Amino acid sequence: MMEELSEKEKTREKFIEAANRKKILAHRCNKCGHLMLETVLFCEKCSASKFEHVELEGSGTVVTYTIQAVAPEGFEDAGSYAWVVFKVDNQQLRGSGFLPGVKTPSDLPIGMKVRVAGYDPKHGLILQK
Amino acid sequence: MTNSKVCVLGAGSTKYGKLDESVIEIALNAAKDAIDSAGITPKDIQAGYISNVFGVADKQVHMAPVIMSNLGISHVPGLTIESACGSGSVMFREAFANVAAGFYDCLLALGVEKVTHTGTVRSTTLFSYCSDFFYEGGNGASFPGLFASMARAYMNTHKATEEDLANVAVKNHENGFLNPKAHMRKKITIDEVLKSPVVASPLKLLDCCPFSDGASATILCSEEFAKNSGRPYMEVIGSGRGASPAAVQGREDITTIPSTVAAARQAYKMAGVTPKDIDFAEVHDCFTIAEIIDIEDLGFFPKGKAVHAVRDGATRLKGEIPINPSGGLKSKGHPIGATGVGQVVEVFDQFTGKAGERTIPNAEIALTHNFGATGASAAVHIFRKVDRK
Ligand SMILES: [Zn+2]
Repeated sequence: MMEELSEKEKTREKFIEAANRKKILAHRCNKCGHLMLETVLFCEKCSASKFEHVELEGSGTVVTYTIQAVAPEGFEDAGSYAWVVFKVDNQQLRGSGFLPGVKTPSDLPIGMKVRVAGYDPKHGLILQK
Repeated sequence: MTNSKVCVLGAGSTKYGKLDESVIEIALNAAKDAIDSAGITPKDIQAGYISNVFGVADKQVHMAPVIMSNLGISHVPGLTIESACGSGSVMFREAFANVAAGFYDCLLALGVEKVTHTGTVRSTTLFSYCSDFFYEGGNGASFPGLFASMARAYMNTHKATEEDLANVAVKNHENGFLNPKAHMRKKITIDEVLKSPVVASPLKLLDCCPFSDGASATILCSEEFAKNSGRPYMEVIGSGRGASPAAVQGREDITTIPSTVAAARQAYKMAGVTPKDIDFAEVHDCFTIAEIIDIEDLGFFPKGKAVHAVRDGATRLKGEIPINPSGGLKSKGHPIGATGVGQVVEVFDQFTGKAGERTIPNAEIALTHNFGATGASAAVHIFRKVDRK
């Protein structure tokens, strides 16, 4: 059990380490080729558990988002920001992250390009336009 | 042990809102109402199913044995179930399954929550732990924020407006105004919704349900037990469960909730009815956008059309399919562990002549729908009134 737990924690660590290099770390199933985020441990399509690690360019387009007028604890000092769901370029995969400096919906039309800028222990996956 | 039809013989709720009592006292008040309503005594109860999420905020987890002990039946086994805002219906499903399987003839299914004493900021943070925190809460999304992202996707896909969402709030406050146990018993206007402060755009304060304290309880029993009681009751004719990717980003279409669709399909099939047979429904309207998505996913309206139906009054108390006659989470309130059970209490009250001015005449089949977080887990139940005459 302990081993499983530490393995799971490591997937997050690896994901964060890649984000700090502006990449998105994914798993590609060795059996069926399905692509998932690094943190998924069994293939969503075929339940196989052998994967190839794939580093995707951290760029995508905005699928939807919100501008958090009332920020949750830990984000009070973040200024006006958006929480964004984005589709990774050339993949079916979606991710989500924190995009600072967004004040009104005109700052961020759906479909706009965003890029992974890094990972902040306080604000999570940081995006930039 | 034999398979049985499952019936609801009694139901009771505390008022929803800001309550002073401890979480256990709140639970016991609802339990007492349900026991009285069923015409039984605690010694008839063979098991206790309890739903709760944030007991730790009132210094009490492992709640079931404490509740059983204070009902004077400490020998009766209990179980506490957590499934975020869907805890009540998910717990109700497990209670239902245990009576259906013949393990118990009579049990208490009770949901309770006490969270308002922690304050709005702390409550918001506690709720965000119900998200897939690594991807959502941890990246700055609050619960209103997650639903706001669904609202923006829906508005973009179906050309809906903020005013369309506001119609849901106005309608639910109209109903809640008629409910003496509602938390926000106040009529509101479209203009008030649109001018209320933005919480997470495009959602504003009056698009959001309140944080509430409260408890709701039901007595579930076998058909034989219900018949022998000689009292009014209703039968659970359908029960379904569903699941969705925990994080919003995991869903190919953000304008639908897969767990609702799956749970509804199972419940309709078990009950042998279609959405057209439902006389009214209590659905999970934690935010106005949620009710719009729910009533499409439940099959009452085609995708993208619910906003028109709401605008035309189809979901009002006197409309073709009344939605949330109780006032829903929006106006009645949302004590998250209790909410799913409270919906069943509303159906029981409607079927047994206790719904007062919000009574839907001649209703015989009703549906309840409740989900956890952004719909990662959901349950749907369908009830049929049993005529004792
Ligand atoms: Zn595979």
